[in-house]
Amino acid sequence: MGQTIHFMDTSLIPIWQKVQRGERLSFEDGLTMFRTSDVISLGKMAHFVQKERSGDAVYFVLNQKIEPTNICVLACKFCDFATKAGRPDAYGMTIHEILHKLTPDIHEVHITGGLHPDWEWDYYLEMLRQIKAQFPNVDIKAFTAVEIDFFHKKFKLPIDEVLRQLKEAGMRTMPGGGAEVFSERVRKRLFSSKIGAKVWLDIHRAAHLMGIPTNSTILYGHIETLEERVDHLVKLRTLQDETRGFLTFIPLAFQPGDTGIKPTNRFTSAIDDLKMIAVSRLMLDNFPHIKAYWVMLTEEVASVALNFGADDLDGTVGGEKIAHDAGAITPMQLTKEKIIKIIRDAGKIPVERDVFYNPLNVFSPGVVGKIPYLNSVPFYHHFAKRQFKILPVSPRRMGILSRNSQMDAGLFSLADYLSQKDILTPLPFCIATRDQVKSVMLFSNHGWQELNNKVIGIIDDTATSVKLLQVLLEKKYGVKAELRRLHSGVNDYEDFDAVLLIGDEALRHQKFGLGKFELVYDLATEWYEWQKLPFVFAVWAIRKALPQESRDELASLIQNALLKGEVEFERISQAHAGRIGLTPAEATEYLQGFNYRMGEREWRAIEVFENLLTSVESEVGRS
Amino acid sequence: MTVEGLQEKVRKGKRITQEEGLFLFRNLELLDLGALANEIRFQKNPERCVTYLIDTNPNYSNVCNIDCIFCAFYRHPGEKGEYTYTVDQMIQNFKEAAAQGVTTVLLQGGVHPSLTFDYYLEMVRRTVAEVPQIYPHFFSTSEIIGMSEISGLTIKEVLRQLWDAGLRSIPGGGAEILADRVKKKISSKKGTSADWLDVMREAHRIGYKSTATMMYGHLETDEDILEHLESIRKLQDETGGFTAFVPWSFKPGNTPLEKIIPHYASSTRYLQIIAFSRIYLDNFPHIQASWFSEGKKTGQIALHFGADDFGGTLLEENVHAAANFVNKTNIEECIQLIHESGFAAAQRTTLYEILGVTQPAEVAA
Repeated sequence: MGQTIHFMDTSLIPIWQKVQRGERLSFEDGLTMFRTSDVISLGKMAHFVQKERSGDAVYFVLNQKIEPTNICVLACKFCDFATKAGRPDAYGMTIHEILHKLTPDIHEVHITGGLHPDWEWDYYLEMLRQIKAQFPNVDIKAFTAVEIDFFHKKFKLPIDEVLRQLKEAGMRTMPGGGAEVFSERVRKRLFSSKIGAKVWLDIHRAAHLMGIPTNSTILYGHIETLEERVDHLVKLRTLQDETRGFLTFIPLAFQPGDTGIKPTNRFTSAIDDLKMIAVSRLMLDNFPHIKAYWVMLTEEVASVALNFGADDLDGTVGGEKIAHDAGAITPMQLTKEKIIKIIRDAGKIPVERDVFYNPLNVFSPGVVGKIPYLNSVPFYHHFAKRQFKILPVSPRRMGILSRNSQMDAGLFSLADYLSQKDILTPLPFCIATRDQVKSVMLFSNHGWQELNNKVIGIIDDTATSVKLLQVLLEKKYGVKAELRRLHSGVNDYEDFDAVLLIGDEALRHQKFGLGKFELVYDLATEWYEWQKLPFVFAVWAIRKALPQESRDELASLIQNALLKGEVEFERISQAHAGRIGLTPAEATEYLQGFNYRMGEREWRAIEVFENLLTSVESEVGRS
Repeated sequence: MTVEGLQEKVRKGKRITQEEGLFLFRNLELLDLGALANEIRFQKNPERCVTYLIDTNPNYSNVCNIDCIFCAFYRHPGEKGEYTYTVDQMIQNFKEAAAQGVTTVLLQGGVHPSLTFDYYLEMVRRTVAEVPQIYPHFFSTSEIIGMSEISGLTIKEVLRQLWDAGLRSIPGGGAEILADRVKKKISSKKGTSADWLDVMREAHRIGYKSTATMMYGHLETDEDILEHLESIRKLQDETGGFTAFVPWSFKPGNTPLEKIIPHYASSTRYLQIIAFSRIYLDNFPHIQASWFSEGKKTGQIALHFGADDFGGTLLEENVHAAANFVNKTNIEECIQLIHESGFAAAQRTTLYEILGVTQPAEVAA
């Protein structure tokens, strides 16, 4: 992925060097980037990071926005939406009306609204419960921190209790609205009655710690300074370091409308919009996604933003009202078809996602799956794509997409490869351990023998590791445990006797520990001590239906990439270690622990594992 | 052939072939295209300055019998909603425009089946005589071919007489895609690519200046786009008569083609074409980005992708409007859009003479 940028603004060069080394950018770097007139070079740096994170994927979701009421106790100057009870435009929806707006084909409902002075706490809980009951496939993203704080005060419940009850009622994630700009100066002038930075950040921290991922936003293009924008980004980055609970960051362009804040009532310029997207991608090095929210950004800029750092276009957004009341000029419902066209025109793969960014449908041929873990970087760092496109995806999802004919090739989890031998042909490349792995770890309070009848939490993306765990439990130790999916995310381990983690999460926690668990087992070590064989976690494979030339082409691309990648462990470690919380030396040592080419012992290991598997039940309970 | 090698070739100022162009167009990422185009733009025009024009696009008639399936503007003779203005009415229109500061009128039809050649000559003569503030930029190649058919004069003679009446510059519309494979499908009665190029060649030889346009985003392939660009690059080598290249996307609203192509191409495609045309059309002085045809924000971004001109303020516009694509500005906003993009704004004439420069108060955030 070596890339040259011909900078017109040379003050960006030191920043580019940091970006390539994976170093964190400073406050001053943020300002330098906002001030540059070399927009394309800024975009190229952001696009470099975007591609490292998301490959060629751009996500969208089929979603519906519900704004249950526009009656609000606040009076923020920038808002054209809120009104007071009794006014002719005031409305409040019943649960029946809300349910009526939803359809089973959507995957996400986004609920935010005014702070209604009269509604009861039970109304909100019941709203979520009924949506969940009637639309089990629709994930609920609900209530900004402003609303959570309002519930906390109005119903005299601690923040944690508000969140706990909402989660129990069906809330899966929280939207990122209400952050505006984390500046007391701006808050006092524009939204003095709204919560400030501290409360917003505290509520999101509390949500993250409870296993509720959230989004985050900035409202820019009004009276904020560039310093205040950068400061906002730094504050979010700091919290993300602590919790890892943010899914995405969404810059919201201020819509002047009738709000009267700006003397000229002008929309933000396209250049400012693109800078905001690019600088966010570059500063928020610990955020998985940056969203170009087309409703506020306009379709034209959102489309270009997909090459300036944004990897998410939001969704079909049925029922959006707030931005349109302020005069947003986008059509009320951008059809799925059009979203797909915009993403394709940008040279990207349209990927329909769920609320947690799991890919559900991929609308492109030639897609190669990329496991987003450090140990697969040597394959992808120098992968020259030619006719292929890259989709980062968890091993489990890769298996599902392949089964649904939505993926042409990839580095498959062994379990998926074994179950899809009818449609997949292996290529002679793999991720195999020598003795230990450090990234497939069981965190436990019990020794192996005592795990009988205990409950082990697993994450949704661990096909091979889960099977390896079952084989070890049943065949090596002769015990049987109940495996159950964690509700949401790694922090959600309270109800479990042990937790299985894989990938970079496992790496991070094998170093720093995971909460209450005192014992840590490396599954590859367990396997090696038992079988004296390597363990093959993943195998490169390509669809049998593709012509021989495609196989040869892919094999040669992998071979070339690997030859370059293998001699660069230190550079790769330099660029990726920080993100995981390792030192570069630790990352290098980790990478050196793998064998990337299939050999006789690797094939033998697969055979032994396959035989053991046939006699193990593969029942995994859903939480 | 590698993208790296071709980028290097372009940077050294060497011309790329049609085949190399196609490879680059298809394989270079958007921002790499943009960066390369931007470098060339600043080599050719080192000032951080973008030109604009105060102009208007009235139409003397919407009567037309060419039946292009991408057009929502025309009406057949006798059809409801058809209109044709007299020369008097148009002169009045120009006077009102001139009073608002307009310096250029881009005037087109319809290709009217029965208006006499004298109508057109009189339109030019009276404009020059009665509205001297206005520079006439009249009549597309299709109308000129129409005049030739109705008068029985050769194209050359038609152009000669219009020149004598005072016309010096003609618009580049009607090119669509200069690939007959596509033309047959979208405008079978409009003539071939060679017809458009021949009129332009004759005009340039007489001394006319013109723009070259391209309408994409319908049935064309990348190969067709390359064929188009190659044709106008060749003609420019021969005549040097093109001032600028102006691409825009097909707007499907209310057109017969809407059934097949329901959406217009995205801004990304526009930027790709703006940037690539700057790279490929090495003999064109200007590439025009428009605040109008794709949206104001896309226009702003295009100024960083190789374009150095922001088009006209378009006091009046009817053709896109007929396809439900409406976009309005005024002189102040046009200047502000340029300033926000990080450039000084220079008012120009049709032939790119600078009339005055407005510096931004401060570089936009």
